[in-house]
Amino acid sequence: MNEDKPVVFVVDDDPSVRDALDSLIRSIKMNVRTFGTAEEFLLAKRPDAPSCIVLDVRLPRLNGLDFQRELAQLKVDLPIIFITGHGDILMAVRAIKSGAIEFLTKPFRHQDLIDAVYVGIDRDRARRQAEAVFSELRNRFAMLTSRERQIMLEVASGRPNKQIAADLKLSEFTVKVHRSHLMHKMKAQSAVDLARMADKLQASTKNGVTLDTRV
Amino acid sequence: MKSLNLRVTAAWLLPVVTIVLAAGIFVADTITDLEIAFPAFYTAIVLLASRFCRKNGVIIVGAGCIGLTLLSDILTFDAAPSEAGVANTVIGLLAIAATTYLAARFEAEREAVYEIRSQLAHVTRVATLGEMTTSLAHQVNQPLAAVAINANALLHWLDDRPPNLDEARRNVARIVKDVDRASEVIIQVRNLAKGSPPERDWLRINEIVLSTVALLDREVQQSELVLQTQLSNDLPLIRGDRIQLQQVILNLLLNAIDALSLVSQEQRKLVVSSAKIDTKNALISVQDSGGGFAPEDLDRLFNAFYSTKPNGMGMGLAISRSIVESHGGQIWAKPNASGGAVFQFTLPIDAG
Repeated sequence: MNEDKPVVFVVDDDPSVRDALDSLIRSIKMNVRTFGTAEEFLLAKRPDAPSCIVLDVRLPRLNGLDFQRELAQLKVDLPIIFITGHGDILMAVRAIKSGAIEFLTKPFRHQDLIDAVYVGIDRDRARRQAEAVFSELRNRFAMLTSRERQIMLEVASGRPNKQIAADLKLSEFTVKVHRSHLMHKMKAQSAVDLARMADKLQASTKNGVTLDTRV
Repeated sequence: MKSLNLRVTAAWLLPVVTIVLAAGIFVADTITDLEIAFPAFYTAIVLLASRFCRKNGVIIVGAGCIGLTLLSDILTFDAAPSEAGVANTVIGLLAIAATTYLAARFEAEREAVYEIRSQLAHVTRVATLGEMTTSLAHQVNQPLAAVAINANALLHWLDDRPPNLDEARRNVARIVKDVDRASEVIIQVRNLAKGSPPERDWLRINEIVLSTVALLDREVQQSELVLQTQLSNDLPLIRGDRIQLQQVILNLLLNAIDALSLVSQEQRKLVVSSAKIDTKNALISVQDSGGGFAPEDLDRLFNAFYSTKPNGMGMGLAISRSIVESHGGQIWAKPNASGGAVFQFTLPIDAG
């Protein structure tokens, strides 16, 4: 897996705060990119690396909380750390409920911000890894023939070859051949391993990805 | 200065002119026949009176004019008054009554407008103050936050082996810039405070006290307390900004009401008084029977952002002090002899 150095995105309209955060994050040896507005961030090409956003609540035009919602709609699933000059409880609750890592009131303890950044990067790294594993799995599944897919789902649900052969009106030998091909293509070590893969693929069908058994 | 003197002169000139004129009309009306419709001229008296009297004053002047008309009719006793004479008198009386009615009504509406306007001014002031405080807090907080972040980053750069002096230097430069920015905001606030000289009108202290008490009618009723006013009658006019002085009294009264809410109902007593303490100063004091304040708070009570109230901003007394001082007076607090607190301030009385 090729992974770039983590990047922290800072979105704050105040240049002083922006520069200070830029320096602080670089001083803990992390890459940082700063933006003055939400629009600037959305237009920028983001590097393919684990990242998180340090976001000022009070931004011109699109405020931080609305920006959080917009990112969710755009399926930009980056962890967010809010910073604000005048935070009220309602705002903090809304931000955290929508998945923010932390809600810090300026001036905050710099260690709190650094800790939150680490948590954010770790969370994003884990998400990216899970995503990579899944997309690899899907690629492998895409290489199976329609027959192999049918047999994979049967094997995964724990049915013996004989029964699969009867169900699909095939000879037991043919099922065995298909089965060994598909195990090889899916890089599955055992029937249990295969079942786990099928589970993962099927779980994603709930999230809008259809597990198509046709080619 | 000249225009001020003129206005003061006008304040006593108009009533004198009115009285002289009324006397003139009375004499003329008495020595002439009833046929000559002198009573109609009294309408001018009513109109003049409406320039310097309130609603009730206008009504009294109107009634007085009617009285004078009838009196001169009796003095000009005519055995057989002509029909024209009687008609003239009646028309004159009607004219006076109608003028009085209209002038009094106009005066009442003017007072209502004035009352609403001063309430509105108060509300806007409070709202503006709140907004200004939030905005200022933000403007100072931003550079302050940046300073803190830069300082921490600076420590990190210095901890590197070898220390990254270039980065550290940049942090220091930014800290200097941000501190300058914060002091810039403070300078702006100072200029703002200096930039608007308060209004200087001739004012009756008691009227300001009473109008402020009236603004708090609802609060006084809700907090079930006894409010007494002990106002001295021999106070000369003072010069000042009506709204600002109202603000001071309002702050003191609201503080007192808050303090009284913490003691039992039968103990709640609030006294507002005005007095002339020497030839140069008037004293206004607000005395409550609440919990009072701790002796060690005495020095800090008037400091900005110092509050003994859980939700207090700590601005009320600080603002009050700056208003009183800008009027050339002094404000202080002391314990009430019978428990509670006394807040009082002086205002210079101008012999003007």
